[in-house]
Amino acid sequence: MTRALSCVGKSVPRGDAVEKVTGSARYAHDLALPGMLHAALVTSPHASARIARVDVADAAALPGVRAILAGANLDVRLGLYMRDKRILARDVVRYQGEPVVAVAADTLDIAREACRRVRVEYEPTRAVFDPRDAMKSGAPLVHPDLESYAHLEGVFFPKSNTNVAHHQKIRKGDVDAAIASAEVTLEARFDNPPVQHVPMETHAAIAQALPDGRVEIWTSSQSPYTVRHLMSVVFGLPHASIRVHVPYVGGGFGGKAGLNLEPLVYVLSKAAGGRPVKFVATREQEFNTLPSRQGLHSTIEIGATRAGKIVALKATYVWDAGAYADYGVNVGRAAAYSGAGPYAVPNCSIDSFVVYTNKVYGTAYRGFGHLEVLWGIERAIDQMARKLGLDPAEFRRRNLLTVGDTTITGETFTAGHGKPVECLDAVAKAIEWGTPSTPPASSTKRRGKGIAMLHKAPAMPTSTSCSAIIKLDEDGAADILVSGVDYGQGTYTVLRQIAAEELRLPIDAVHINSDCDTAFTPYDWQTVASRFSYMGGHAVIEAAADCLRQLRFAAAQVFGVAPEKIVCENASAYPDGEPERAIPYRSLALGYVYPNGNAIGGPVIGHGRFIARGLTHLAPDTGQGRPAQFWTYGAHGVEVEVDTETGEIEILRIASAVDAGKVLNAGLARGQVIGGVVQGIGSALWEGFRFDKEGRLKNPSFVDYKIPTAKDLPREMVPILLENPQPDGPYGARGVAEHPMISVPSAIGNALYDALGIEFASLPLSPEHVIARLAEKGTKP
Amino acid sequence: MLGRFEYARPQSVDEACRLLAEGGRAAAVLAGGTDLLVDLRNGFRSPSLLVDVKRLGELQALKTRSDETVVGAAVPLNVVVENRELRKAYAGLSDAALSIATYQLRNRATVAGNLCNASPAADMAPILLVLDAELTVQNAKGTRAVPVATLFTGAKRTCLVPGDVVIDVRMPPLDGELRTAFRKQQRIRGHDLAVVNAAAAYAPSRATLRVAVGSCAPTPVLLEPFDTKGTSPQALADEVLRAAAAATAPIDDVRASAAYRRAVLPVLLRRLLADVVSGRGGGI
Amino acid sequence: MHDIELRVNGHAERASVPAGMTLLEFLRDRLALTGAKEGCGIGECGACTVLLDRTPVTACLVLAVEADGLDVRTIEGEAADGELSALQRAFVDAGAVQCGFCTPGMIMSARALLLRSPHPSDEEIVEAIAGNLCRCTGYEAILAAIRAASGTGGEP
Repeated sequence: MTRALSCVGKSVPRGDAVEKVTGSARYAHDLALPGMLHAALVTSPHASARIARVDVADAAALPGVRAILAGANLDVRLGLYMRDKRILARDVVRYQGEPVVAVAADTLDIAREACRRVRVEYEPTRAVFDPRDAMKSGAPLVHPDLESYAHLEGVFFPKSNTNVAHHQKIRKGDVDAAIASAEVTLEARFDNPPVQHVPMETHAAIAQALPDGRVEIWTSSQSPYTVRHLMSVVFGLPHASIRVHVPYVGGGFGGKAGLNLEPLVYVLSKAAGGRPVKFVATREQEFNTLPSRQGLHSTIEIGATRAGKIVALKATYVWDAGAYADYGVNVGRAAAYSGAGPYAVPNCSIDSFVVYTNKVYGTAYRGFGHLEVLWGIERAIDQMARKLGLDPAEFRRRNLLTVGDTTITGETFTAGHGKPVECLDAVAKAIEWGTPSTPPASSTKRRGKGIAMLHKAPAMPTSTSCSAIIKLDEDGAADILVSGVDYGQGTYTVLRQIAAEELRLPIDAVHINSDCDTAFTPYDWQTVASRFSYMGGHAVIEAAADCLRQLRFAAAQVFGVAPEKIVCENASAYPDGEPERAIPYRSLALGYVYPNGNAIGGPVIGHGRFIARGLTHLAPDTGQGRPAQFWTYGAHGVEVEVDTETGEIEILRIASAVDAGKVLNAGLARGQVIGGVVQGIGSALWEGFRFDKEGRLKNPSFVDYKIPTAKDLPREMVPILLENPQPDGPYGARGVAEHPMISVPSAIGNALYDALGIEFASLPLSPEHVIARLAEKGTKP
Repeated sequence: MLGRFEYARPQSVDEACRLLAEGGRAAAVLAGGTDLLVDLRNGFRSPSLLVDVKRLGELQALKTRSDETVVGAAVPLNVVVENRELRKAYAGLSDAALSIATYQLRNRATVAGNLCNASPAADMAPILLVLDAELTVQNAKGTRAVPVATLFTGAKRTCLVPGDVVIDVRMPPLDGELRTAFRKQQRIRGHDLAVVNAAAAYAPSRATLRVAVGSCAPTPVLLEPFDTKGTSPQALADEVLRAAAAATAPIDDVRASAAYRRAVLPVLLRRLLADVVSGRGGGI
Repeated sequence: MHDIELRVNGHAERASVPAGMTLLEFLRDRLALTGAKEGCGIGECGACTVLLDRTPVTACLVLAVEADGLDVRTIEGEAADGELSALQRAFVDAGAVQCGFCTPGMIMSARALLLRSPHPSDEEIVEAIAGNLCRCTGYEAILAAIRAASGTGGEP
């Protein structure tokens, strides 16, 4: 098809922007139902303790209290990949901040007052906070019953009687022999702290247990159908009896994937006689009770030839899963199959351990383990380049995946994967790589440049699927129904553009549901992994084709020609070559009516679907297989200025290239890049959980957990979107939403070396961290 | 809801004092509320009566006359920041006020409130210490002046007693010569509490330099005045650094380690001295 | 309970409120003006920013009773007669909105800025919105939107 695109690729503004700028967009946070109760939680002050006694008598006596639940009342376990978590702690608590007792009351104030009256006696037990300690024999077991937990068999491999929730192995070639014979080797260790997603809307959910056994849920979630499915699994309810609504969602970044507060509000509603119950996490609970991004400890060995070819890469990744590992196991899996970076590595061995500790638990967070793994890999690649006396960009060029290479899981790299080297070259050019920085204004400041590569594929089940429905309205406009969630990334606008393009409608005549409702919007797995514009895009294309088929069929009868002779253009249908005879869609959308009153056709409703193709489970012992529907590659180039007296880092400029395949909406794609880069800067420079010796989170609020503000931006940000098409992507597109965040810390760390000559191994690169390392360097002889 | 308590908005300072006297320890003064309401929400304090003094004329006063400089206790920080007379005379005061929190919070937060909250990191404290400011404090028994230098008795503790209302903060008359400056080290450029803060006031004709440091001891610390006559800038800086090190005892907390505080305090002080000695801190 | 009278988006409101009720709760729960959001409850995120006598405040740290006699403006008062203000239009056109949760507070901070400084400098814009946290956009498009709305008048 050579027709110029009329809508795809244009910077169409978000369809929901007007609702959002007027304050009329409704979030779960804003919803209220008649008779609705409000819930509050008693959370554990201990990281590890036995619950000796729970006394709720005083709380129950408070007027307005309608339900009080403790773990002893609830005998279910939750989980998508690993069913290791309870709604409320039962018998033991495993992290400080874990919910222990929940109250539903007429008002939030009463619920909170009741919580203050609950008395829980704890007997503190031995805790373990460092996952490396947790792997040692004799470490206290966070889950002594791990053996008995249901999990996704054949994909995850928990080790009984240990704290290892999953061990992912990747084996390619003979890594030990290759390292032993390598001309140059390097070993380095890196650390990432746990961090928080910080969606501006904290988690919020409402549930109503209906008298006939049905349940209705309104939730701030990325995953309407996954919530429905897991509710069904956990509570043994038929899927059709669970209806999940997702209104506007105030950010998610992975933290609202899977199942979160929905079971809690459901059991409270049941206990309260079926009144709807709402729970909104406080910001402190968002930090301390709801999941975060896992910490990581990496050990990376690289072997290379003197000529600068990587011959081997061996890595051990130890993930700090926290107290529960439902999502963490999959982060550990995905980051392992991406765990050598976007390089051709002939011999590779990766062991990725997802390890329980007594801390707040981890989940998906934008980049799904890749920011963490690539912090180490991309810093190690730089170190190796220096060891070889090579320019770090040149070393990367010699090793980046190119057509014909195989990845570490045995996938063949093709032209359809995009061009990593073009990303590298684009950012190198943008920051004038190879040209020293202009000197800083102050003699106590230092400048430096760094680059880093990134890659990521969607981490999802091999059978992940998606569907879309398009209904034509009386006026000939189209309504798209999907259950992917647009929580800010802009995917709904992109789907409208695709539908407009396919149906030959103006963009204003294409509408999309602003909220999801599993009773009416069709199946989608969940909105994670930068996969929805790709999969939803395909489903919309197919649904549009279905609509066109119906339109053509009706028009063909009207014109007395074969359906394939009907052209659909400009919201109308006509026989090929006779546009003057066009019938507008509005005359066909519900069926065509002849002058005599006879009618044909009927309401046009198209259905489209997509399922992941060709994916396989990874072989348990080698990790070989095809885990990825598509890969997206990118790079960052950054120039920093460091104040050597205070340790402050200013980003002078950052150029970020992503090979998008096809840019479906330039404005929205740019928004994803800029937003991702700034979030990546947060991870690089400031963000990270701080725990005290007892495992209590010391910074569970915006007072001491700092995210970037408008004052903290780089002086210049340069988004670069490349378009080397993905052959099986809609219009050649691949996902780009998570990627801009990945490797931002790595590029900054590399620039810091250039500026200071210091190898930074842990995040965040806070002023304090920089000063500590400068002091260390200064005192060395 | 921030708790169950009564609220009163007295029409006069006398009435406020009477209400506070009756309320005793269970009563609290509400001015900007940006610290108090957070404490109520977090359950750190649970007074049974809030006495809102924000609208009292005396507490809204802002005078920058040749004979007195007065900032009423309920004057929002943004009013201080945006006052041109104050900026001209006491740049360090304006900068300290500007460094606090966010634009929205500075529309509520007050100079007096920042002092009375008695955080070791209070950004208004060092500058008001070097300016020799004092608070006018009234209670049912009468009115007294409390020098800022005697206000702080410990972390989050002051010499004020239940029943006291701060009426205003008084500074010396605008002094065309005095050079003041404020510096703050924080974790991020956006709103943050001070890891270390410091202020200086330098009077060239009197050859006097005053320096105060915050967030490095249980209370903000005012150093003994320095005589700058015949001292080279380098020697003066060394003397200030020595005195500051001796008078402070930084601790590790969630915002910074003691080691980092010790490392940046001299940096901040050197920059501060450059500000006032080179005149960048305002003055003439 | 305290009887208060105030103006909200130009409408006179009379209510009886407990002393402990915040202005944010009053707006959201009593007046159903849910545009202002609670993002933290301690004044750190700016999602609840509203104008009190034309100056922006975090409504989570103002008691409803403190607003007695004052003029309150919320995001719901920004579009006059169903027409977006130039500022709102600029947010739409610049792509300054993603999840939208911070947007009402952000626009109110920007509105207050334009009221006091119709042609703000970049530095003023940054200072005005630095108290409004946004996790999605990276702020760049927001700054562009406010720049674009510069000079479009104090009143919407």
